[in-house]
Amino acid sequence: MHPIDILGKIIAISHSNLEIASRINAILNIITQDMPFDEAIVYTLDTDKKLTCRYKNDKSVLFPLLNEYRSHIGEGIVGSVAQKRIPQGFTFKDVPPRLGCLFYPDLDGYIQKYRAFHFIPISDDSYLYGVLFICASSMERLNKPHNAFLSMVAREIGGILRSNQLLISSKKRISELATLSELGRVLASSSIPQDILNSITFIIAKALNAAFVTVRLSHSFLKIDSQRFTYGEIGSESKEIIKKLEMEVKNQEKTVSLKDLDTEGYRNTTSTSLYSAPLTSKGRFLGTVTIGGPITQSGSVMEGNGRYLIETIANYISSGLENTLLTTKLKDVLKELNSAQERLVEQETFRNLGEMTANIAHEIKNPLVIIGGFTKRLARKTRLDLTENRYIEIILKEVARLEAILDEVLNYVKESPMVIKDSKISDFIDELVFLFTSDSAWEKIEITREYANNISFVPCDDQQIKQVLINILMNAYDAMQGSGKIVIQTGLKIINDRPFASISISDTGGGIDPAIIDNIFNPFFTTKDGGTGLGLAISNKIVLNHGGYIQIHNLIGKGATFIVHLPIKNTTIREERI
Amino acid sequence: MKKARLLIVDDEENIRFLFKEELEEEGYSVDVASNGLEAIDKVKHAVFDLVVLDIKMPGMNGIEALNEIKNINKNLPVILCSAYGEFKQDFSSWASDGYVVKSADTNELKQTIKNLLGVA
Repeated sequence: MHPIDILGKIIAISHSNLEIASRINAILNIITQDMPFDEAIVYTLDTDKKLTCRYKNDKSVLFPLLNEYRSHIGEGIVGSVAQKRIPQGFTFKDVPPRLGCLFYPDLDGYIQKYRAFHFIPISDDSYLYGVLFICASSMERLNKPHNAFLSMVAREIGGILRSNQLLISSKKRISELATLSELGRVLASSSIPQDILNSITFIIAKALNAAFVTVRLSHSFLKIDSQRFTYGEIGSESKEIIKKLEMEVKNQEKTVSLKDLDTEGYRNTTSTSLYSAPLTSKGRFLGTVTIGGPITQSGSVMEGNGRYLIETIANYISSGLENTLLTTKLKDVLKELNSAQERLVEQETFRNLGEMTANIAHEIKNPLVIIGGFTKRLARKTRLDLTENRYIEIILKEVARLEAILDEVLNYVKESPMVIKDSKISDFIDELVFLFTSDSAWEKIEITREYANNISFVPCDDQQIKQVLINILMNAYDAMQGSGKIVIQTGLKIINDRPFASISISDTGGGIDPAIIDNIFNPFFTTKDGGTGLGLAISNKIVLNHGGYIQIHNLIGKGATFIVHLPIKNTTIREERI
Repeated sequence: MKKARLLIVDDEENIRFLFKEELEEEGYSVDVASNGLEAIDKVKHAVFDLVVLDIKMPGMNGIEALNEIKNINKNLPVILCSAYGEFKQDFSSWASDGYVVKSADTNELKQTIKNLLGVA
């Protein structure tokens, strides 16, 4: 068969969809069948920088012998060809014993069967993939066409090995990406931290084919009971070494592998590879992730690029944990806000109920006074017998009883005693704004907050002051008829040498009619249909009880500003006085 | 001795009637008004020794009326008389001279009037 035809066959095979070993072995068979060669063997360069005798023609005799030992680059003829990337040929006269490598003792009885030996590097411009080794018994030296032919074959095999490497690395990359995306999905979920961490260890272990994965959190983090989350079995002898690794990672704040650890005895006896990486976020040490797997296990993603992988994973987990922490915090805050909202709604209902009760009590009181008053007069004016007198007494007793009940109701409606404590006013303003803005009726109202940074805590009964602010905000809402702008500002003011915290609420409701402005704090004064006229009266009373006062800036045609001034202790001022 | 003249201001006709009867029996001369504006008008055109003023009234409420009355004659004693006890402790800040919670038992009202007129 003409070499061109042989090459044609080889190219067809190398471009086929067969598995890599089948393709290369088929090519080597063709070479030994159609050309005067007896042995065709391919060494490949593996990730550990050693040459493995991996592919052969079917009838190869030398393969089992050469397969006994994996030589380094530079070692023996194969190693030297791989190193220099130059083809080398020998005859039976000048070929070095055992092909230049002492670890092939079994070759001694075989080498003399062959007369020509040829080694061709399999490489491209940048990378060496392996070495093609040919033996021939029918000739002493290969001629030029042979050489040209073999270098073309070597190039073809190189192509196969290259595309296979690309395939493997892209598979790895895809599996890495799949793992990371899976991790991302878990980390972004709103599950509880324990579930997230358990899922993380499981995903990593499965993706990396690891024997075990363990995440250890530092004590203060996440405030959850368990600090360690593990998937897989950790042997008892590994536990100690993992703890050592984790300590080392914490101290150095970088990835540490078993090889870095100064534990000779352990390293020599173990068959496990271990990597441990720090989980850090914004410079804070959150914990460690440790991945372990058998060293000999082939196909483990940990082989070769373990450090890179674990660091990528650690980054993912770190940012995920930070998110989890934020989510947990957010959940707490939301819970608190919800309960605050419930409390406020309760209060508001109670307040309205209180005002309504007060009104009803007031309305009942008048007729009762009239009934009782005239009954008394009647009793005085008329001469009554014993029975009639008893009737009158009963009426008067019942009237007195009703009056007492009404007084009791009215007393109950009165605000409860003040509970003064240092309250962060910006917090409860935020709470109120959250409450109001979550009501769809307020969606056309834009609320701006400006907090002074020189004031934070104000001694007050926050529940009562909230009531005051609710009253003012509700009035603003009514004045603006449900649409406009509200600006809430806090500030500090010295009045008569005494410091006051001020909360000002401005609206764009057109201001207050000057004719009524003097009356707005009077009880029962109202401009609203169905208003009780008690809201601002009670608000004013509350603020006065606190030793403060409410000030009004009225811009007719524009809006009104209510400023609540509350006295504060000198020590609560954080910065210089304004 | 000349009878002391009282002005009772209340939007409830029967309260006016009751107080008038009760206080006339005590020897006072009693006139009545049914709201703040009418009360101010009466204070402007007649002489009174004391005014009993309801707070919650339509039109002009008692606190507004109180200020107007004090503007006209700051020496004229005014008692606020409301069914609502909530603001009893605040009466002095509104320039009123007394605060009585309305009751079928008129003794407290009578006593407060007596005290104020006795001092005056």
